[in-house]
Amino acid sequence: MPALEAHALTKVYARHGQSTRALDGLDLEIPSGQRFAFLGRNGAGKTTFIKIASTLLLPTAGEVRLFGRDVVHEARAVRAQIGLVPQEGKLFYHLTPREHLREYLRVRGVGRETTEARTVELVEAMGLGPFADTPALRLSGGQQQRALVAMVLATEAPFLFLDEPTLGMDPFARRQVWEVIRRAARRGSTVLLTTHYLDEAEQLSDELAVIEGGRILFRGPSERLKSTLGREVRLQFSGGFSTLELAPFGKVISDRERITLLTTRSAVRELTELALARGVEVTVGPVTLEEAFLELVGRGIEEDES
Amino acid sequence: MTARSQAYAALRICYFNGILPLWRSPLLIAAVFLTPFSFLFFLFVIAPRALFPYGVVGGVLFTALFTGSGMLNDCAYLRLERQLQQVFVASPLRPLAYILGMALSELAFSIPAMSLFLVILFLVTPLGGLGLAALIGVVLVTWLMATTLGFFVSTMFSQLREIWPIGTLIFSILSILPPIFYPATEIPAAWRWVAYLAPSTYAAQLADRAAGLGGQITTGIPALDSPFFDLGMLVAVTVLFGSAALYLARWREP
Repeated sequence: MPALEAHALTKVYARHGQSTRALDGLDLEIPSGQRFAFLGRNGAGKTTFIKIASTLLLPTAGEVRLFGRDVVHEARAVRAQIGLVPQEGKLFYHLTPREHLREYLRVRGVGRETTEARTVELVEAMGLGPFADTPALRLSGGQQQRALVAMVLATEAPFLFLDEPTLGMDPFARRQVWEVIRRAARRGSTVLLTTHYLDEAEQLSDELAVIEGGRILFRGPSERLKSTLGREVRLQFSGGFSTLELAPFGKVISDRERITLLTTRSAVRELTELALARGVEVTVGPVTLEEAFLELVGRGIEEDES
Repeated sequence: MTARSQAYAALRICYFNGILPLWRSPLLIAAVFLTPFSFLFFLFVIAPRALFPYGVVGGVLFTALFTGSGMLNDCAYLRLERQLQQVFVASPLRPLAYILGMALSELAFSIPAMSLFLVILFLVTPLGGLGLAALIGVVLVTWLMATTLGFFVSTMFSQLREIWPIGTLIFSILSILPPIFYPATEIPAAWRWVAYLAPSTYAAQLADRAAGLGGQITTGIPALDSPFFDLGMLVAVTVLFGSAALYLARWREP
């Protein structure tokens, strides 16, 4: 049985006489124990999906089942299985991170000894130590976010919803959070996360889905998303070429200082030799997930507009 | 989670959301005390001395009623500004335990101020043990009524800016205009029926009686003039607001 199944999920927000279709007949299955990432632009429907699946919001049509339970009609049973890091959540200003972990676990019915053990473990694993006993009102946004994520991951809930969990964190903190999320998945939790950091999605997810206009444009591993471009290599030139000249070789992205070309392996030798002959600096690397994402979503928008 | 775990969870919420902040910022006690004390001070200065005990009872009731305003603002703030209510919704905690925990937090905030008013009340009225027990009972029902109303209203809005004026409006109407700080008989006879529109009037009449003070509205109809009528109305409104908080409040968004 999949951990999560969504069928024909639709959500229409009707406010002030205007309606917005946030989800448009979305279908999705997430296997148990998987780390799954949702990618999409702002307003694509990621948070709406998480809110419905985590029993915060009612769908307009369709259904979501979590471990076989309907999130609308069996919400109580579903809530016993989940933990949620909301988008841009903040802490109780007067409590310390250690108190947040301890109190939240106790409120969820976790026993005292287990609570203490998990609090110690998460404070260590998430690098909260230096500020674990400082009231939240004196913490930076990134430190607060780390404590919030720790508080929810400490629940060891079978299904974890993480809506932009590393928002505002420095790169060191982000890596610590990644490791704790991986550990949660190894322990058996299914993780659904949304992020705008594509490197994070690549590092953390077994599979990902790209969502645009409330519909899924792509679902699969990040490598497969990159392969949908049909171009595996990115060449960056410091100048010396015109976009017209490079256009036959692939997709050209030009800014003031550099020209980026997404192309096939077969074109690399010819172009690097040409660049060397012209004395132009050239950098060669694999296409990134961000490029594949931009291409895919860009195509989706064009199709919608046409 | 069992019913016992849910009750324990409510007490934990009261501890970390009510008692801890009070312990760490004792100035909050003064903030809760200041408004009713200011009303009492004005009464002391401008009203006949005979009305002062009504003002003291009013201070106790005003503090109990304003737990509703605190509940409304805190719940809205935790849901809309800090997104923390969502963290509790997506957990095994039931709405009743969350509401009770938040309401107990508000009670914790108001207990020091209410205790001060009770001490003053002991000094100015012949309040006995039975009267004190009855007064505490009225305060507890009033607190339940106000906090459940506060929670229900807090879930109806999606912007904090919309909530602040609504909260001030509701709880000012409930706690300043009705005969809380003065006897209901001070209202001109033709307008006394208006006082009955506010459920806090019933609480005030019961509290005044408990403190051994007269001045309740009399209609000449024994059933309506009985304290049981006031008690029945107060409990009925509390059940109504409690049901709204449990069944109509938006624990999840539509």
